[in-house]
Amino acid sequence: MEGFAAQIIPAVDGAPGAVELGAVRFVDRALGEPFFAGSVPVVRAGLADLDARARALGGRRGFASLAAGQQVAILRQIEHGDFFKAARTLVLIGTFADPSYGGNRGGAGWVMIGIDHRPSYTAPFGYYDVQAGAGSARGAA
Amino acid sequence: MIQRSFRQSETVDFVIVGTGAAGGVLAKELATAGFDVVALEQGPWQHESDFSHDELAVERELAMLNRAFEPEQTFRTSAAEPARVTGARGLLYRRGVGGSSVHFAANYWRFRPVDFKERSLWGPIGGTAFADWPITYEELEPYYTKVDWQIGVSGAPGPFDPPRSRPYPLPPLPNKSSGMLLERGARALGLHPQVAPMAILSQPRHGRAACQACGHCAYYGCEFGAKSSSLVTVIPKAVATGRCEIRADSTVHRVETNARGRATGVVYWDKEGTERRQAARAVVLAANGAETARLLLLSASPAFPDGLGNSSGAVGRHIMFNGYAYTNGRFEHPLNEYKGAVASRTVHDFYDADPARGFYGGGGIDARFPYGPITFAVDGLPPDVPAWGREYRQALSDYYTHSVRFMSHLTSLPVPSNTVTLDPAHPDRFGRPGLCLTYQEHPDDLRTRLWFVERTKELMEAAGATQVWNQPVLPVDGGVHLLGTARMGNDPRDSVVDRYHRAHDVPNLFICDGSSFVTSGRGQPTMTIQALAFRAAEHIARFARSHAV
Repeated sequence: MEGFAAQIIPAVDGAPGAVELGAVRFVDRALGEPFFAGSVPVVRAGLADLDARARALGGRRGFASLAAGQQVAILRQIEHGDFFKAARTLVLIGTFADPSYGGNRGGAGWVMIGIDHRPSYTAPFGYYDVQAGAGSARGAA
Repeated sequence: MIQRSFRQSETVDFVIVGTGAAGGVLAKELATAGFDVVALEQGPWQHESDFSHDELAVERELAMLNRAFEPEQTFRTSAAEPARVTGARGLLYRRGVGGSSVHFAANYWRFRPVDFKERSLWGPIGGTAFADWPITYEELEPYYTKVDWQIGVSGAPGPFDPPRSRPYPLPPLPNKSSGMLLERGARALGLHPQVAPMAILSQPRHGRAACQACGHCAYYGCEFGAKSSSLVTVIPKAVATGRCEIRADSTVHRVETNARGRATGVVYWDKEGTERRQAARAVVLAANGAETARLLLLSASPAFPDGLGNSSGAVGRHIMFNGYAYTNGRFEHPLNEYKGAVASRTVHDFYDADPARGFYGGGGIDARFPYGPITFAVDGLPPDVPAWGREYRQALSDYYTHSVRFMSHLTSLPVPSNTVTLDPAHPDRFGRPGLCLTYQEHPDDLRTRLWFVERTKELMEAAGATQVWNQPVLPVDGGVHLLGTARMGNDPRDSVVDRYHRAHDVPNLFICDGSSFVTSGRGQPTMTIQALAFRAAEHIARFARSHAV
């Protein structure tokens, strides 16, 4: 799962990716929860399949031991399948869900996509309402 | 909260089933009028402190919705095909005190005069039971105004608004970047953007806080009490009368009737699953367009073999959801749509149906961004962007803060074969038959959606989007607006309730919620559900005082 998660959202230029944000820890926990129970068989089978494909390419210790280029090649073969969809969704939830679930460490997933994460905000909110000016931002159309 | 409690052996004046948009108003109005009221709610009584911004629980696990408790709904496109179990979609509504008004987006458009008499103006439409309402906008206007002032609606008049007897009680919420861009696109096309009326406080009012712009309205409960749900507006007032008990975690499964064909009360399961009864002089159903229909069908008896109040056969029929059509766009600069209320501006130039289009249909358009970070990462990016890897990672940060959707909210037609029925093969946790939705979109509804996709696309381009993309227009298999399943009408042969929401077949049974709708309007039904409830309560109280219940 770690190798898979690192390919979904890789770390770049020192900025953390899914693995560094704790997405794998989230997935391990989530698969024990009733809500995700339906995903367990497809994820287990899919991870075993990844390792089998890796061994066929000479990666004796499975998918995680392959070079990045080989991992990408394998994922290209399976990216439209049920396992990829289910595992990708789990990794993304682990990257962007509330940190209390074990991933998205320190809310860094939110920072990655540009969210200034606060419990509440004050207008103006974005470039276009700032541009319109504080006077007309409130009130008349 | 300390409230009056009634013994189950007591016969109260009214038992109300449901505490949402309609039930909350009915409880408050009838208790204020001096009647003893028990309001039963199948879900829990949560408060602001129980709500959170937890996207995983709220949007993916749908923790507050019916589907978390009753996963086995079924769907089919016609009665001829076998019903299949649906996933997370289907008939969606919140369980809990305040009902779906707790998690709604709070768009509070009034209907317009045309919505109540469109059958007369347009003519018949094949394959539908298109009909006029038995009431007019003018009759309902005073109650729309009650909603504005008693619930708390923020807004400002627009060029297409129907007449109103009082101004909005509160000024508009701040205009967002999305609203600015919708205005820019609309003006460039010669259209007339206007302020979106919202049931959210723009200023503190009646002890409630103003909106904190946290960006978690749709599907979430408001942690600040600023969203004008029944939970924080009419329910506390109902309880404060000392004549109303809100009984949460109570799932009603039958309306009981006597040999004279009168309702005598309801049977329900409490939190522990123990069957209990509440006797009442009159029964009011406000359980939403799915649950009200189910309850009527479950209350069949030898005297009412097809379901209570169903001599017309209209119970559960004509379900309407409101169609949707939209276009997504990315802009050069950040909009930060994760902040603020759902929408701040609308375009109502295409509200009326127009014969020149070649089909029936109309709607309004707003600007919104219906994505938390998880849902956006899973499937919010344009289809040509890679779904994983370095480019995907870059796209998430390029698009999340810079994107918006122009969204149309549309008519849907009352088709007799579109129904909510009982499905005994898929019972709920109590063993009660589950809900089966049978739905096939009317051809004019699909044409309306396709036409509005083009309008939103033009608006997005005129607003200056650097990239514009659409998603497939998929068949309708459920929705959150549950309308038309116990329609109002003057003729007992083709409607369930009369113009006062009294069941044609049962003199002391009243039904008022989305099921009462005759036509769908153009989305945003909650304002009208509440106006109907204020009006119904006034008439029901009048009947009760004159011993005509």
